[in-house]
Amino acid sequence: MTHFTLSHTTAADGIELYTLRNHGGMRVAISNLGASMIHWWAPDRYGREADVLLGFARVEDYRHNPAYFGAIVGRWGNRIAGGRFTLDGQACQVDRNEGENHLHGGAEGFHRQLWQAQPDPEGLRMMLVSPHGQAGFPGNVMASVLYRLDEDGQLRIDYTATTDAPTPVNLTSHAYFNLNGGTCDIRDHVISIDADAYLQIDASLIPQQQAEVAGSAFDFRQPAPIGPRLDWPDPQLKLAGGFDHCYCLHTESEPVAGEGRVAQPLREVATVYDPGSGRELRVSTTEAGLQFYSGNFLAGVQGRGPQAYAIHDGFCLEAQAYPDQVNTPHQEAVILRPGQVYRQTTVYRLGVRD
Amino acid sequence: MAKVPTVHRIALLFNGNKIFDREIISGIGEYISSTRASWDLYLEEDFRCRPQGIERWAGHGIIADFDDPVTTAALKDVQLPVVAIGGSYADPAQYPANRPYVATDNVKMVKLAYDHLIEAGLQHFALFSLPESDCNRWAQERERIFTGLTEADGITGHIYRGVGTSAQSWDTAVEQQIAWIRSLPKPVGIIAVTDARARQLLQACLFAGIAVPEQVALIGIDNDPLARVLTRIPLSSVIQGSVEMGRTAAHLLHQMLHGARFPDTRILVPPVGINVLASSRHEVRNHPHVMQALHFIRQYACQGIKTDQVADYVGISRSSLEWYFRRELGRSVHDEILRFKLDAAKRLLEQAGSHAAEIAISCGFTSVQYMHAVFKRELGCTPREYQEQFAAGLEQAAAAAPSAVRQKKKPVGTSLLEPTK
Repeated sequence: MTHFTLSHTTAADGIELYTLRNHGGMRVAISNLGASMIHWWAPDRYGREADVLLGFARVEDYRHNPAYFGAIVGRWGNRIAGGRFTLDGQACQVDRNEGENHLHGGAEGFHRQLWQAQPDPEGLRMMLVSPHGQAGFPGNVMASVLYRLDEDGQLRIDYTATTDAPTPVNLTSHAYFNLNGGTCDIRDHVISIDADAYLQIDASLIPQQQAEVAGSAFDFRQPAPIGPRLDWPDPQLKLAGGFDHCYCLHTESEPVAGEGRVAQPLREVATVYDPGSGRELRVSTTEAGLQFYSGNFLAGVQGRGPQAYAIHDGFCLEAQAYPDQVNTPHQEAVILRPGQVYRQTTVYRLGVRD
Repeated sequence: MAKVPTVHRIALLFNGNKIFDREIISGIGEYISSTRASWDLYLEEDFRCRPQGIERWAGHGIIADFDDPVTTAALKDVQLPVVAIGGSYADPAQYPANRPYVATDNVKMVKLAYDHLIEAGLQHFALFSLPESDCNRWAQERERIFTGLTEADGITGHIYRGVGTSAQSWDTAVEQQIAWIRSLPKPVGIIAVTDARARQLLQACLFAGIAVPEQVALIGIDNDPLARVLTRIPLSSVIQGSVEMGRTAAHLLHQMLHGARFPDTRILVPPVGINVLASSRHEVRNHPHVMQALHFIRQYACQGIKTDQVADYVGISRSSLEWYFRRELGRSVHDEILRFKLDAAKRLLEQAGSHAAEIAISCGFTSVQYMHAVFKRELGCTPREYQEQFAAGLEQAAAAAPSAVRQKKKPVGTSLLEPTK
């Protein structure tokens, strides 16, 4: 049973801010603009509260959100090489908004849309209709997210989507965390990711091949601080200016080329611990991929603080399908067809380790 | 470079009697076992480092502790790939020239300890260091960092180096430590440059009847299990990133064996945690009588003490003490003693292979039946059920993320293990 209270305020032009609270005093503020997580106030080891999310000062600022702060990104989270793919023999060209590539649903992606909040007994549900042709994608897609906060500090995000024409769908949350509440960058955070392999990228950050993490800076099967790993000499880190790579999470069975989407059972896949504050984030998901992004492009982004953000001021753990999967033999697993329902669940659990 | 042999002979020059060195070696081992690297490791069988003659050694690479001046000197002209390990320094001249260097980040460690004491509500701060020597340049570096932090906050940071540890001068050393602690404004938060040093100070406090953490909140560096076993009050400590340092050094050497060179690479590894135990759980709000009583309970709860003995120690009547406890903590003295015993028993039950009967005795319960009753009443389960639930929880966590479990495990507070007196 979830215990929570929900309150909301109207900011401007139909932009609303909803707050989920639990009995432990934890508060998560979510806006209908981009269905974005705006604040997450959580206590540290000493009971002192801080906002562990990066973002802007005013909800209105999320209208333009080039860093995708806190947003639900879609209909295609992550990159598509050249913004091109072939679906059922039909060539498709979608928006190219990062050099030659498509990124995060294009300039008019889900993160910039006003979602419609729906009454829900369990949490905050928001719906979005993405019309046929938006960002170049085929089909009208109806997407929904349900945010729930429980007494254990678990923020659960359940995604669903349906369509009236075949289209790639890959939804994820682009929340940037800094578990110390922004007093310094995330280099001292200690991360573990339960994955034996990751996807190596090319200069435009498109995956090229799967590689073992063993013996590389990418091996987080045992917990390790992020900062020193950023300093390991590694050509893959040089390409992205840090971590911006998808980890291949364990799946129940080997994915078969040509088969449709198989959601995995919800399992814990990553943990991040901040020694200074004692806060700990645990991530569970039904997805096959987990993009670890170390905030490599944050320098100069003016957020809610008096000073602009600097590189590595926040990190993202985006649970999703593989980047550019639509251009691989496993394309069918990321195609949503009429009559099918896309379902995804990711849980961010915030607590204190004693 | 000549052809790369399939098996590389690698020397690890460390002093495995220290927890820091041992963890580095284990990080190196972890790296090797995660890769296909085939390394024939050269280590002295007593894990002590004797680098004399190393320059004539026919091996392929070396990872060495550069905090040790003997090692540094012995490796001066060695042409093999060498990765240096040691403390971080503000002054670049302190680093060896033309060697990749993996450092424990002294700034981050002292800052983590200092911030912890601030958060615990302290306003006076001190550092317990070591007499200056070229073997412990890191101790002086930690002093400089501590001074910098306190100066930046506009407060006085007291530093005491004391004397080196020797059996002959031990009594004098302890007397001087006590005199130093007495001279400090109270309550004071003290950072010790190592756990070994913290342990000495903790002992001196107990010997002199100075309440820890009420009068002196203490935190060490190293998270050394041995230091915890030897103290009556569980010692808080900063956990160094030494395992990661080992992995990092092994990775660099691995690349160097295949021709890469990193003469200017310096990788600083921050601490990976802080183990907050009783020695730094300073609570500002308590009345001195309550603080003294808690100090006594913390040390002797597991030896079956009663409320009367606590009141005797504090020097007030039993009813007055009860009144203060009710007011400050909202529970009786007996409840507090019981709570401490219960916590101790829980922690022992969490260890595999522990037996309820032994635990009941070592935690000061008069009988295993009484411990059983207390568990039923307070936790709604028997000690055995508690143990099973804990083991099941661990298994579940292990199934979910094998990596997370190891770091989650709480070290057992040691005053709870077999009281000696």
